[in-house]
Order: sequence, then structure tokens, then C-alpha cells
Amino acid sequence: MHTFGYRANALLTLGVTILALMCAMASFSDNFSLPSPSAHVQVLNVNWFQKQRNGNDEVSLTLNISADLQSAFTWNTKQVFVFLAAEYDTTKNSLNQISLWDAIIPSKEHAKFSIHTTNKYRLTDQGSNLRGKEFNLTLHWHVMPKTGKMFADKIVMTGYHLPEDYR
Amino acid sequence: YIDFRGESRYNRDFAASVSLLPSPFSDKSVLSAVSHPVSSRRTKMDWQGQKLAEQLMQILLVAFAVVAFATGYTIGSFQTMILIYAGGVVLTTLVTVPNWPFFNRHPLKWLDPIEAEKHPKLQPQQPSSSSKKKSSKK
Repeated sequence: MHTFGYRANALLTLGVTILALMCAMASFSDNFSLPSPSAHVQVLNVNWFQKQRNGNDEVSLTLNISADLQSAFTWNTKQVFVFLAAEYDTTKNSLNQISLWDAIIPSKEHAKFSIHTTNKYRLTDQGSNLRGKEFNLTLHWHVMPKTGKMFADKIVMTGYHLPEDYR
Repeated sequence: YIDFRGESRYNRDFAASVSLLPSPFSDKSVLSAVSHPVSSRRTKMDWQGQKLAEQLMQILLVAFAVVAFATGYTIGSFQTMILIYAGGVVLTTLVTVPNWPFFNRHPLKWLDPIEAEKHPKLQPQQPSSSSKKKSSKK
């Protein structure tokens, strides 16, 4: 501690170390939050259902997605990334997951929402297995922190069917 | 942090300067006029001050971190935590980094010039040949 430079360096190092510890504690405190989210998805319409030239089935849906993810936000949350995936099985794949729509929720105020939309991304099968298919719609979300660990969770909604014939 | 080379250099220079100065005054008053050691130019903080600076730095930073975290967590604002801590870092810098006078309240007492001049053979490689042994020459 005998010179200005020595003390400045010591202060900077100790200051940054303590800051790192505070951020670790902030991330750890996220473990104590118990979110209670809810979600509901309605398939309003099957717009079209075709077999593409390459032999793959493709379907377009209009959806009503409503959810309340406000309890997922903590003091250490930067944003929540949420996406809706269609899940079903085929003889070729035991699990197919296709992302239909996603969004970034920047703050708690925006976390309770209800939107009416067509699927943002194409629902295309590997093959032509979709006629009369029963599938789940799963809402996934990632709670992205300001510092530290990211938490992810989902809600599975079952009981959706695709039409028996192409439209 | 004691510089033996500097000390003996000072003593030699001092002794030389005394012999060159013509003076109507007694030896003692001439010596006292040039008695302030130049060794203080390097350590502006004494040992006690350095220890105080280190302790103050650690205590202040930890205290501000605790207050910042507690406030941020209670209010639910990460930004508040960062701002309080940043303020604490700035305050700690202002208190501990510049060499304030209160860090120099126990300055080291260097050898009295009269003592040093009496023992011109004082060398760094012979620390045992100290002024105590040669005091019999008085």
C-alpha cells in the first residue's frame, strides 16, 4: 500500500471480486422464486394442409395463444424467451418438435398476453405422416437472467388433431 | 521499505555539505538547518497509514456491497444494487487512494544527523557495526 498505483490496483481488484460475488449471490437467489405460470392455446383454424412436391406434409394454422408468465420474472431477470412447439411421434421419429411461434417478453408488464396469429414458422413433417395426427402443443420459456443461471420450463397441452384429409 | 543505500548516501552528502558551509553559528544550529531527510520523498504514507488504508478499503467495499445487495434484493431492483455499489467504490477510492495527511500521522524517525555524522564508516554490509558499539567514541 505504499504507492498510489499499488492502492489503486488493490482497490480495483477487490472491487471487481466483490462485484462477482454479488452477481453470484443474485443468481443464486433466483432458486428461491417459485413461478406459477399458466397457458392456453386454441387452434382456431386449419388454413391449408398440403403435401409438398418433395413429399413432405405441410400445414398452416391460426392460433390463439394466451399465457401468464408474470411469476417467472425475478429481480435478476433480463427477459423471458417464449416459444410454442408442436410435438408428435411418427414411425420414423419417436419425437418431432416443431417451433411454430416465439417471442421475447422484455418485462413483467408484458408477460400476461393473448395473441391471435398464424404460425410464424412452417409446420413441415419429415415425410407425410400428418393426416389425422394427434399432437401436443407445448409452451416453452427461458428465463434469461441479468447475471448467472438461465432457467427453462414448459407447459404441455394435449388433445389437438389434424384433419384426416388434405385441404 | 527502508532504503539503506539512500540513507548512507544521505549521510555522506550531508557530512560533505556540512564541512563546506561556512557558518558563524555553532555546529548544532547549522546541522539542524539541513536536517530534514530527503527519504520522505518516496513514502508519503507511513506504515500505520498503509495498514489503515488497506483496512479502510476492505471494510468500506464489503460494507457497501452488503448494503447494495440487501437494498437491491428487498426492492427487487438489480440496477439499484449496482448503483449503490458503484457509489461505494467511488467513495472508497476518494478515501483510501490519495495520500491524505491522516495516513502520515506516525512518520518514521530517521537517524539524527549529529549521530550519523559521528559514524562515517556506517556501511550496508556491516549492519552489526552500528552506532551503539561506536558510541564509546563520544
